[in-house]
Order: sequence, then C-alpha cells, then structure tokens
Amino acid sequence: MSKLLDKVDMLALTPSLFFILATIAVYQSFAYLQNKSRLIWLNPMLLSIASIIPLLLYFKLPFELYYHSTQFINNLLEPAVVALGFPLYQQLNSIKNQWEILGLILALGVILVIILSFTLTMIFIAIPKIAVSLSLKSITTPIAIALSQQLNGDSSITAFAIILAGLFGALLGPSWLNLINVKSPKAQGLAIGAASHALGTATISKISYEHGAYGSLALIVSAVITALICPFLINILSLWFW
Amino acid sequence: MLKNTLYSLFIIALCLLLGKFIAAYLGGLPASLYGMIILTSALHFKRVNPDKISATISWIINHMGVCFVPAGVGIINHYQLINEHGLTLVVIIFISTFVLLSFVGLAYQHLVLNKHSSQS
Repeated sequence: MSKLLDKVDMLALTPSLFFILATIAVYQSFAYLQNKSRLIWLNPMLLSIASIIPLLLYFKLPFELYYHSTQFINNLLEPAVVALGFPLYQQLNSIKNQWEILGLILALGVILVIILSFTLTMIFIAIPKIAVSLSLKSITTPIAIALSQQLNGDSSITAFAIILAGLFGALLGPSWLNLINVKSPKAQGLAIGAASHALGTATISKISYEHGAYGSLALIVSAVITALICPFLINILSLWFW
Repeated sequence: MLKNTLYSLFIIALCLLLGKFIAAYLGGLPASLYGMIILTSALHFKRVNPDKISATISWIINHMGVCFVPAGVGIINHYQLINEHGLTLVVIIFISTFVLLSFVGLAYQHLVLNKHSSQS
C-alpha cells in the first residue's frame, strides 16, 4: 500500500483524485454490504469514517491533506440540501389539513431538544462549539452541517452526534414508543422522523407505509424549523451561559 | 432519466445560485437552505415540473451519504475530547433523543389522534 502511494506520488497525480476515489470506493463497498445484509448498524457513513481514520493514521497522512483533497465531495453538500426541497414539496400536500398542529408539535419538540442538549453539554462539558453541534443532532445531516458551520459548531462532532441519534432511534425507537404506549403508526413515524432523521425514517419505512410517510414529513419539517429557530435560540442560550 | 438529468442539475444549480444571492443580502439561513425553499416554492407554484426532476433527485438523495464522510473524518482531530468526554457525549445524545421521541409521539397521539377519535 505504501508502495502504491509512492507510485501515486511519482506520477505526480494530484492527491485530490486519489482521496476522492478512495472515499467513494470505501463508501460504496459499505453501502453494498448494508444493502445485502440489511443491518441498520452497518451504516455506510459511520463505517467509512471508521475505516478511513485508521488508514490516515497508519500512513501518517495529515487530516488537512485529506480534507483539502476531498473538498470536491464536501462541496456537493450544498446542492444536496437544495435537492431536499423535492421531498418537502411532496410532504406539503399531505399536511395541508393539519399543518398548524403538526408545526406546533414539531416546533416545541425542536425547542425542547435544542435547550436540553445545549444546556446538558454546557453543564457537563462546557465547550460552546460542542454544545452547538449536539443541539443540531436530531436533524438531517446536510442541513445540520450547513447550520453547524454557520453557528460556529464543529462539523465532525455534529456528524457523529447525528449518526448516534439516528442509530438510537432506528434501533430502539419503535420498542420504546410501544413501551410508553404510543402505538399509532402516524405518531411513531412522526416521533422517529423528528428525533432520528433519515436513518430512523429509512428503518421504520419497512414497518408500514404510514411510518415512512410521517417519518419523512417530520424529518423535513423539523429540519426547516430548526434552521429557522436555531440561530436565535443558540444566541440566547449562549448569552445565558456567559 | 438521462434525458432530464441535465435539466434537473440546472434547476438545482439555479436554486442554489438564487439562494446564494439571498443569503448574501439577507443573511440568516445558509445559502443552501434558501435554495431548498426556492426549489420547494418553484415546484409548488408549478414553475418546475416534478416528474422531470424526480429520478435525478432521488438518485442524489440516495447517494448523498458519501458527501458527509470528509467532514466526519474530521473527528480525528478530537482525540482528546473523545478520550475525556466521549461517554458524556453519548449519554447526552441518548437522553435528548429519547426525550424528543417521547415528546413528539405522546403529543401527537394525545392532541391529534385522540381528539379525532372522540369526534368520530
């Protein structure tokens, strides 16, 4: 492998192309593995990150080199967020009759989770950057990363917190909701979409169509609400802690 | 699908560009979120044909996970934080996720479903 890297060096091949290809190849193999195995915790994003880190450490490649080389992939995040406007449009029709109550529940949920995560992080860890990152952990990754960069959070911590929140909700969400007697498919879908974004929604979509529809509704609406509320709320909370 | 791929990419890029203008003038949200809202409104007011862009959009959404890998690898710079506070982080994420799950689930069940069933 190190010989291969020397070759890459000798060919004066831009490290960019090499790292981009490597990242896509690693991700695709894990995505294939998950498709085949259908196991939720075999999350391709998590596994790619977990296998690229040891490779960088082993070959003593600095993260900054990797990050700058893969800027191209990183830049695709912005158009990906724009693409989410399509599912939002699809959901708008289905909430026509009850958008007030749904918006209210999701907005209160968003406010609750931001205050809770921010406060707990400030009390126990006391690093504002981390508190911002954890406040964004229940919404879909592209929007959370965009917000996290804007609010001076840390993108990598945000990404990790999001995967964890997604896994908790996907793996334990349905049984927990059954336990507290929330048994309607609509309520379960809404709760898991709000707390565990796309990872949770993709998982519960297999239970029933209603789970999936309400999950994607909640995931997109609460992400938009978070984007609108978060900047103000974080500012107020930051003032509180200083 | 191939026929409409360029059209879809053009629409997305156009929305993003408009989003960048709005973000530059107004600030507030990230440019990409303005772009998303513009795309939603364009679809809603029938400026863009949803059938034409749906295939490309679902391809993008299915594969966008790879875009987060570089940002996620950045956790490599937080060795000390994970070492010191890793468990605390996981516990906070665990607690707030379950509080949110319970709140939304219970609220919807009590406010919407029970009300509807008592009416009918």
